[in-house]
Amino acid sequence: MCGIGGIVRPDRAATVDVSSLRRMASTLRHRGPDGFGLATGPGAGFVSTRLAIFDIAGGWQPISAEGGGLIVYNGEVYNHPELRADLARDGITTGTLTDTEVVLRLLERDGLAALDRLNGQFAFAWWQPRERRLTLVRDRFGVRPLHYAFAADGSLVFASEAKGLFASGEIAAEPDLVGIDDVFTLWGARAPRSPFRNVHQLRAGSLLVWESGRVVAERTWWRPQYAPADPGSSPEELDELMRDSVRLRLRADVPVGTYLSGGLDSSLITALAQDASEHELRTFSVAFRDALFDERIHQEEVAAELGTRHHVLEIDEADIAGAFCDVVYHAETPLIRTAPVPLYLLARATREHGITVIATGEGADELFWGYDLFKELVLRGQAERDESALDRLNELYPYLGGPGARRGPAWRRFFAQAGAADDPLFSHQTRAAATGAVKDFYRDEVAVELLAEDSMERLRADLPESFGRWSALERAAYVELRTLLEPYLLAAQGDRVAMAHGVEGRYPFLDHRVFELSVRLPEERKLDAELHDKIALRELAATVLPSTVARRPKQPYRAPEVASFFAGDSPEWVEQALSPVALRATGLFDERRVEGLVRRCRAGRATGLREGMALVGILSTQVWYEHFCGAGSGDYVAETGEPKVFIDLDVESALERV
Amino acid sequence: MTEVDALGADPRDQAVRDEISEFIEENFLYMRLDHVLQPSDDLMALALLDSLGFVELVEEVQDRYGLEVQDVEITEENFGSVNAIVAFVGRKRAR
Repeated sequence: MCGIGGIVRPDRAATVDVSSLRRMASTLRHRGPDGFGLATGPGAGFVSTRLAIFDIAGGWQPISAEGGGLIVYNGEVYNHPELRADLARDGITTGTLTDTEVVLRLLERDGLAALDRLNGQFAFAWWQPRERRLTLVRDRFGVRPLHYAFAADGSLVFASEAKGLFASGEIAAEPDLVGIDDVFTLWGARAPRSPFRNVHQLRAGSLLVWESGRVVAERTWWRPQYAPADPGSSPEELDELMRDSVRLRLRADVPVGTYLSGGLDSSLITALAQDASEHELRTFSVAFRDALFDERIHQEEVAAELGTRHHVLEIDEADIAGAFCDVVYHAETPLIRTAPVPLYLLARATREHGITVIATGEGADELFWGYDLFKELVLRGQAERDESALDRLNELYPYLGGPGARRGPAWRRFFAQAGAADDPLFSHQTRAAATGAVKDFYRDEVAVELLAEDSMERLRADLPESFGRWSALERAAYVELRTLLEPYLLAAQGDRVAMAHGVEGRYPFLDHRVFELSVRLPEERKLDAELHDKIALRELAATVLPSTVARRPKQPYRAPEVASFFAGDSPEWVEQALSPVALRATGLFDERRVEGLVRRCRAGRATGLREGMALVGILSTQVWYEHFCGAGSGDYVAETGEPKVFIDLDVESALERV
Repeated sequence: MTEVDALGADPRDQAVRDEISEFIEENFLYMRLDHVLQPSDDLMALALLDSLGFVELVEEVQDRYGLEVQDVEITEENFGSVNAIVAFVGRKRAR
């Protein structure tokens, strides 16, 4: 697991300054605290910061091959031993025991067809100097990030995180209103957009090929497909596959732990990991001082049952306020929830306990339809025939506090009238309507500018051709993968907050084989008409966990919002970030409207979902702007240490300086 | 039995009008700075409330006046303006 970056120029005679690469290295160092490496050549430069997981001593990057190719790589390909053996059968040997070199050798042997054989989570750049060809690739679900942008001279600059682009000195950080509006519609900027103007995110499961100053190919190499030709699978198949997925994700030359939320998904992963692990498994949980959010009883029950070595990090509102700015810096996006903050603090604690690889239950709700959004969709569908189905809406979203919790006919009407049944995005209209509360605070001119850029309309236009052939629930699942999982859960709440501390998250449910099996499961094995969810998964869980755990209803993971910033005396930075001067500088939100919101927050009257999201959205945007676009934000320091590897492509020889 | 004044108006109507107006101003109109709320304002057409805000308003009326509101009663006619809410509350109380 690492940070990667690079600059390639149209003109091979143009230089790439090592100082630019060193600034990129410094900015991405949290992703790779163990060391960094550089490579330079005619019109090209590359950087890697490394978190050592495989071949600790020998796996430094960039890695070059005899054929002249070079790779900088972030992530893991879990089946690399099998792929290495396959290469060996062709007489291809590797100088290291890393997955990185296996990927490079496979690419050199098989070209991009090699991607289909990779089981894992990765983002990498493959440089072929003779052709002056750079290929950027991102894994199937977008677990690992990859950003790129074009400089004025046509150079392509790429980096794991957007801040790496800015540190290069080639790309300026400016807000992108449309990308930000995506966040305030669907929780995250949808690739290829980002919240930064002209900064692109490579889409999940896609690749981009650049040659001598031109993008010559941009395509999807894997995408989620539903409505399978061969539906059906057995419980044994799910059991076997989940065990295999967990087994592969325990592969590392360092110890692996798990995050344990106390719910079904992480408990199942922990149980399977405990079964497969030869060592005492370490588990890590967040507990909240506020009982409304706390799940420690369930966490402790599972840890005790499985006999793991369990660690609990208890946090309160002040902890959230204290880490909020750092989280926004790492997430690189406005947020509408504080939920990434506890996971940032948990990753820090995990590293302090000496664990740098963590398996979690992420992905289960998208694959096996655990979210209330899916149940809501079933009920809204049933209500077209029988309106009484809407009564069960009162059972959903139990965590929504404030006025929404009173659950009356208006609550049901909100769902029933949220969108037309023939809208391809029917399933997500209520989320968009609720999240859009933040937009009420836009300055008038911002709202006018965004009139022609409707986030939902752009998403509709971007749906795959086969979308219309899928069932309503399959369509909803696809949209969840693309709008919630990829840009928010795996990014702001996943990769960024864990990698902020050099901790790698691994997601057994996001093995593409598990996804394909979940698609083949009949719908009623995921969610039935009586709203029993994740049925096949619960049956599997019942074989390895107490039935109370296997049956436990989902408690959505959330963290305190308004109270984190206004429960007592507000931290000074909150006052400053929300001051009229700061709001005018950012230019996004109307200072008088925000003043009204702040007044209500201070008085303890902002208790509902709408205002909680608005506050977090506005505050995070202010902090985000200050970090990346405000005065002094362009000052990035250079890495001054000695690189573990320095490759000079100009003389086509590798010189290792350890 | 409802008491009425000499003009035939229930004095409680004015109280409802004031309370609902205050609720809307306090909870929603800080986002509509230049708007002075009139009891006849069409709350949705003027975008004084969004759909989630409408949920809050209806539930406030239920809670504050102890009313049972039926699904079929969630209409523009009953909740579309402050005046509509005043009339709706009056009708419910009269039953």
